[in-house]
Amino acid sequence: MADYAAKIAEAADYIAFRAQVKPTVGLVLGSGLGDLADKIDVDAVIPYRDIPHFPVSTVAGHRGELVIGRLQRCPVVAMRGRLHYYEGWSMADVVVPVYVMRRLGVRVLILTNAAGGLNPDFSPGQLMLIRDHLNLTGANPLIGPNDADLGPRFPDMSQAYDRGLSEGLAQVARRLSIPLQEGVYAGIDGPNYFSKAELRALLFMGADALGMSTVAETIAANHCGLKVAAVSCITDMANPDLFEPPTHELVLEMAERVKPMFMELLTAFVGELGEE
Amino acid sequence: MMDNALYRRVQEAAAALRERLGGFQPQVALILGSGLGGFAAELSDTIEIPYDQVPHFPVSTVEGHAGKWVAGTVEGCPVLCMQGRFHYYEGYSMQEVTFPVRVMGQLDIGTLIVTNAAGGIRRTFQAGDLMLIEDHINWMFNNPLRGPNVDQWGPRFPDMSQAYDRDLLACAEKVAAENGIAVQRGVYIAVPGPSYETPAEIRAFAKLGADAVGMSTVPEVIVAKHQGMKVLGISCISNMASGILPQPLSHEDVIRTSRQVQNRLTSLVRGVLKELRR
Repeated sequence: MADYAAKIAEAADYIAFRAQVKPTVGLVLGSGLGDLADKIDVDAVIPYRDIPHFPVSTVAGHRGELVIGRLQRCPVVAMRGRLHYYEGWSMADVVVPVYVMRRLGVRVLILTNAAGGLNPDFSPGQLMLIRDHLNLTGANPLIGPNDADLGPRFPDMSQAYDRGLSEGLAQVARRLSIPLQEGVYAGIDGPNYFSKAELRALLFMGADALGMSTVAETIAANHCGLKVAAVSCITDMANPDLFEPPTHELVLEMAERVKPMFMELLTAFVGELGEE
Repeated sequence: MMDNALYRRVQEAAAALRERLGGFQPQVALILGSGLGGFAAELSDTIEIPYDQVPHFPVSTVEGHAGKWVAGTVEGCPVLCMQGRFHYYEGYSMQEVTFPVRVMGQLDIGTLIVTNAAGGIRRTFQAGDLMLIEDHINWMFNNPLRGPNVDQWGPRFPDMSQAYDRDLLACAEKVAAENGIAVQRGVYIAVPGPSYETPAEIRAFAKLGADAVGMSTVPEVIVAKHQGMKVLGISCISNMASGILPQPLSHEDVIRTSRQVQNRLTSLVRGVLKELRR
């Protein structure tokens, strides 16, 4: 476990060496949202493969690089391309970037993803503020010996998605007249999409949307004391009764359509964080 | 299956333990959960055997878990206690987590009393309650019996329709009533941990029929049942689960409440052992 912390430190040291800006806000850009990085006044772009101990993403639509700079004057580090458990990474690998960002000085982590909508009030193309999650991956990034320098053995998850940040995000959305749904995100391991019976079970358990990311990163972020805000782009409806199977192409297409609105929301929100 | 490496390791560990126990034959095994290790002080004529002196034993890492066998007599009943257990969240395999239960079976111990600290889900519970486990939900996405079956231990597909022995439950309820100890009854759901649950997860578990949540016990019970042991499970509700009360959860609260409950748990277990002794 001391090894893990040492790897985190080495990765962070390398990044700090390549970048001038010291980021305070971290952004994880989900499927199709990588273009938000183009809005950043870039200080450094660092491919994951250059960073010691950094796992490298393999999925289509995900580039693998860190973009460091200023977004609306706020010093940020953005992950263009994230790592997924279904790619075969261990949970500990998936969350390496979270601990690296913490080590770089990040205090607020903004997670984005593409998700299937379960709540019948949702429709494709809407954004959902994640209020809470269900970890249905069957795994946890913290299994194994705990390194007390990274965080506590048993992190509290009663406010995994910070209430203050979430309220702030909701306010920005209202100001910009961007409709923002709210709900519980169910994180599954994937990579297959869920069956109708599984979707019904998720609905029964109180999920409003489902996807294959975010949950592990949120757990790690809470472990190391990062405040989290998260937004899902509802790219398709996973309504078990009117079900059209999603395709990754469809997900990317919808993410592309929602992108301008999603980028506007995040840019404005980060701008507000920068002023604090 | 005689060449099974796990089987061999269990044999060797049991042989070493038997040697240390001399002629002492325990009738009941107890697993003492978080903050509940104090029960070992009730034993007389004790023999203590640190886990690291038993071959093939993993070593426990969590605060509040000491890590040794304590053998002795309570109310005339010969018992073998595990002071400290192995948790899945520590990174042990399910086989490692349940290794001590295999050793208990090898020592011909027929009854297991398993205790734990758990978060209360049922809203009528409060911190400090004792809950007799009447059934469980395995939400750990894993099972200690995966892999080749050791037929000497038990069947490939063990029945779980009565994982927690009805007679032991009735016995515990009778003892509780006689001694004026309030006990609840409920379903324990086991999660991998180590992060505490989110409020959304707790609401989902409530819908699934769970009354308390914890990060242990279920693998041990599955193995105990596999090898034909009778099981009594007792949860100490050390805190209300996430989202039920406004404040965040802390491991310190868990340990503190468990210690407060210890006297009642001790009386209950003493009473049960008195009934069980032969």
